[in-house]
Amino acid sequence: MNAHSPIVPSDLSQLSDGELKKLELKIARKYSGKVPWIAVLWAFGNMAVWLSLWPLVFMEILPLWAAFPIATVCMALVYLPTHEAQHDIIARPGTNLRWLNELVGHATSWMIVYPFEVLRITHLDHHRHTNDPELDVDITVNSKGPWHAIWNIVRQRQPNAKRNTDYLAALVRANRLDLIVLSIAYKVTFIGVLGALAWNGDALEALFLWWLPYHLGITYIVFFLSWAPHHPGGEQGRYRNTRSWKSKVGNLGSMGMQFHIVHHLHPYIPLHLTPAAYWEMSPILEARGARLGL
Amino acid sequence: MERTLKLVAYSLPIIFAFAFLVPVIDQGMQALGLAAPFGLSTLTFALVVGGGWGLFAQITGRWL
Repeated sequence: MNAHSPIVPSDLSQLSDGELKKLELKIARKYSGKVPWIAVLWAFGNMAVWLSLWPLVFMEILPLWAAFPIATVCMALVYLPTHEAQHDIIARPGTNLRWLNELVGHATSWMIVYPFEVLRITHLDHHRHTNDPELDVDITVNSKGPWHAIWNIVRQRQPNAKRNTDYLAALVRANRLDLIVLSIAYKVTFIGVLGALAWNGDALEALFLWWLPYHLGITYIVFFLSWAPHHPGGEQGRYRNTRSWKSKVGNLGSMGMQFHIVHHLHPYIPLHLTPAAYWEMSPILEARGARLGL
Repeated sequence: MERTLKLVAYSLPIIFAFAFLVPVIDQGMQALGLAAPFGLSTLTFALVVGGGWGLFAQITGRWL
């Protein structure tokens, strides 16, 4: 059977819930299990582009105004390969390429000033407790509409934000107090590097190559990966806590998140295969009461 | 150790202000050719504005 041959029968009305589940799993497995080399290339290619901006700007080969948007795109692109690694999609524990999975996560997440393990633990907690007002680490992103969401995302990065407390609580629940120390070390190092550059006369380079792209990138990431796919974020339950949705900036512009429901149901499917998996399993998802908007 | 860490984490806004915000304001003003008011140097002005903003963030827990 090739990757595109359909599994779903034309009439699902006679199938039991168990049979639907079995079909859904069969499709999910069809799209999983292969190393998503595109994510690996994306991770290191993106990091290489961002790192190359620094010498290019310092040597005045590239003007800062031109490097700034590139740096912003790079920051927005950091998260998703680490996300594949968080879910062990690149390589599962105990497999030959496990080191690569961990390398992708650890080697790139520092750009957005988060230790990889913090991203992994808090994100897996989000999957376990999606839309739970007490336990979902991303619950604070819930907002009335897109502009409110952007404001909320900025607000939740302030020092006294509830999101900080929620992340801390997730690490405490996981008994990983060591990661709290590491998170502080990342933040102190970030400020240290920015400060060293700034007090040596390169404040604007630090501002436009890292600090501002970082904040714009994080806002974009949280908007499209967290707010939009879960909006309005009031329902819990496997088939209701997220959705498929039509993005005004398309699937690429929203970093593949139109098919987020496939990711929550089957988080072992690589990002680039979720659209195909979605279209194949959408009749089943519909039959199971999922929130479908495509 | 724990106390030091808590103190560092707690003080991040004011550390950020003097480590980064102040030189950003100073060099930003110079790049834009803006003069500081009251005959102040751009660095003194940046220390007042950046330091004040950092203090605000430190006390209130928010920059905005």
